[in-house]
Amino acid sequence: MTALLALILGLAPLLGAAPAASDGDLQALIDAAAPGATIELPAGVYRGDITIDKTLTLRGTGGTVIEGTGTGTVVTVLAPDVTLEGLVIRRSGDSLDREHAGISVKAPRVKVVDNRLEDVLFGIFLYQSPDSVIRGNTVVSKDLFIARRGDAIRMWESHRTVVEGNVVDGARDVVLWFCDDAVIRGNLIANGRYGLHFMYSDRATIEDNALIDNSVGSFLMYSKDLVLRRNLISGNNGPAGYGVGLKDMDGSRLEDNLLVGNRAGVFLDNSPQSVGIEQTFEGNLFAYNQIGVLFLPSVKGNVFWGNSFVDNTVQVAVQGGGRFGGNTWTRDGIGNYWSDYAGYDADGDGFGDVPYRLDDLYDHLLDRNPELMLFADTPASRALDLAARAFPVIKPRPKVRDDRPLITPPPVPEPPFDLEVRPGGSLLAASILMLGVATTTVFAAQRRRSLP
Amino acid sequence: MTAGAAPDVWLDLPEKAQRRTILAIARKELDDAVRSRWFWMWTVSFAGLAAVLAMTALPASRIAGAASYGRTAASLVTLTQIIVPLMGLTLGAQTIAFQRENGALRFLLSHPVNRTESFWGLYAGKAAALTAASFAGFGTAGVVTALRSGGGEAGSFVRITLLAWALLLAMVAVGMLISTLAHRAPSALGSAVFTWLALVFLGDLGLMGTAVATRLSVPMLFFSTIVNPVEAFRLAALATFASSFDILGPAGTYAADALGAALVPVIVSSLLAWILVPLAVAWFRFTRHQDL
Repeated sequence: MTALLALILGLAPLLGAAPAASDGDLQALIDAAAPGATIELPAGVYRGDITIDKTLTLRGTGGTVIEGTGTGTVVTVLAPDVTLEGLVIRRSGDSLDREHAGISVKAPRVKVVDNRLEDVLFGIFLYQSPDSVIRGNTVVSKDLFIARRGDAIRMWESHRTVVEGNVVDGARDVVLWFCDDAVIRGNLIANGRYGLHFMYSDRATIEDNALIDNSVGSFLMYSKDLVLRRNLISGNNGPAGYGVGLKDMDGSRLEDNLLVGNRAGVFLDNSPQSVGIEQTFEGNLFAYNQIGVLFLPSVKGNVFWGNSFVDNTVQVAVQGGGRFGGNTWTRDGIGNYWSDYAGYDADGDGFGDVPYRLDDLYDHLLDRNPELMLFADTPASRALDLAARAFPVIKPRPKVRDDRPLITPPPVPEPPFDLEVRPGGSLLAASILMLGVATTTVFAAQRRRSLP
Repeated sequence: MTAGAAPDVWLDLPEKAQRRTILAIARKELDDAVRSRWFWMWTVSFAGLAAVLAMTALPASRIAGAASYGRTAASLVTLTQIIVPLMGLTLGAQTIAFQRENGALRFLLSHPVNRTESFWGLYAGKAAALTAASFAGFGTAGVVTALRSGGGEAGSFVRITLLAWALLLAMVAVGMLISTLAHRAPSALGSAVFTWLALVFLGDLGLMGTAVATRLSVPMLFFSTIVNPVEAFRLAALATFASSFDILGPAGTYAADALGAALVPVIVSSLLAWILVPLAVAWFRFTRHQDL
């Protein structure tokens, strides 16, 4: 410890920081620093909690840990243009109503870069901190019941903030309130509650993120003109497990997203909310979801083209039935690819010659009787659809009509992250064992015949 | 020797001798099954279809990871739901009724064996043959999945195989029951096919219709569903790879909520009851009625 102190004391003058306090207290070091100084912290554990009330750069040099008292926020930033970089910040308090966080910022233009936050309730909290940058951080929340955890990143009235290349695992939400023109790019957000949650935050760009195995992938509410592009949104399977949920939104654009294995790929509730505004969905992959796109009955004004709908248990569902229409499934002569399209392309132009109609009797029953979901994917529910096709008298009105269905699926967008593939070794071993049992049984029977 | 005179004498034999007798009959039955065209038809078609399913589910696995395993598994479960009951029921139903008709049963019982030993020997032999058929199918699908996609969840796959095996044992048991009750071989086979239709299609369709028409309560719907062994298999298999029962809608959410950790045991116990009860009734019927 003395060697460490000597190192700090030795380095501080070189870097232009004020002389450190004699007890090596990080807070004293900060208090003594001149505004605008850079404090480089060598490896070691520094005691928190600290408050930064002047413009400073606090930089770790690998293995620099700031450990909180466990009773409050570890690092509080009150001055503009502060940079926190390369730090490990851990052990905040656990009070939700006092919003105990790893880093709490209440000043504009702050940069939080390449830090690791662990055992914290909230991760990074921006409050009225416009033009800030949150980049390359890793946030691991406290191991609490999901609703008791804090948000990995919470932003309040912090316009034009960039959130880029962060990794969030096992926190609650990443949530933006009243933050216009945000850029959310290249983040990996997994095992939380809401991967992304937008409230009243207009014109954000959300691209190249992976939202995986959260309860809800992203729930976007009361915001305008959001662009979601090339995101991988998969395995979000909570009771409201929507890949992308849109509520009272206007003018959203979803392009080239991978929506895979969610409870519902996209959920639309009163979006677009204004008459005459449209929302567009182009080039997205909806695959292996329980429901590809889930509408509330009154939703209209959404346009889908160039998307692939692959093996969703129900391709498009309308929750609660009712008169449904006013959404478009073809634009500029281009429809969507539907894995269950049963038509043909005699003229070879790449488009099906008969419209794709979604009018499965089972799906139709499901809209009114959600409890029948118990029978999804059974031979019986398929038999029902077959019967409806054979006897058109019981055929329901189609929910979807795509006049120009694509015959081959559009190319799958490249995923923004390489997903780890589980090694198949144990499955292979188990399967060979099964084949072994089968062969042995057959041979045991054969051998008996050679006995006298 | 008449069949009616023997049993009490032979039951006095040491247990070991009885077990040996059962094993000998089982081996004979297994031998017959393996040499029959039925067995190879089921084995080849099941393994072939399973392999095709595992292959077609692959292209998207690059992006979908675990999600595509879920689809492979779901397809395999659907295939199992259709084929395993059909092969279990038809081959089970062929056992006693057919042997009664072509005289094989009379020949068997003319040996120093009693009806109890014959019954369990026949069941064990049939079950062993069908176990080989189903393991061959699952093994093939597993090898294809492991080699081509690299991904997969061995634990889930093995559990699905074991559940399919339990379903198979139940279906052979029901088939044997049909076989003991039927008077003639064709009527045994016909009843087996009808039972298959009822378990796989009519039961579910009836429940769906009832649910829609009478607003059946969600708990009622769930429990009436798991009474069906084919559905019990599907739901228990689903639990091995689905992230939660919520994907089954309100009924699934209710079941997960109400039963908690007991969910899978409750479903599996329905499956086990379908092995034990039909076997017990069939054994009772076969030993009490001395018909040949």
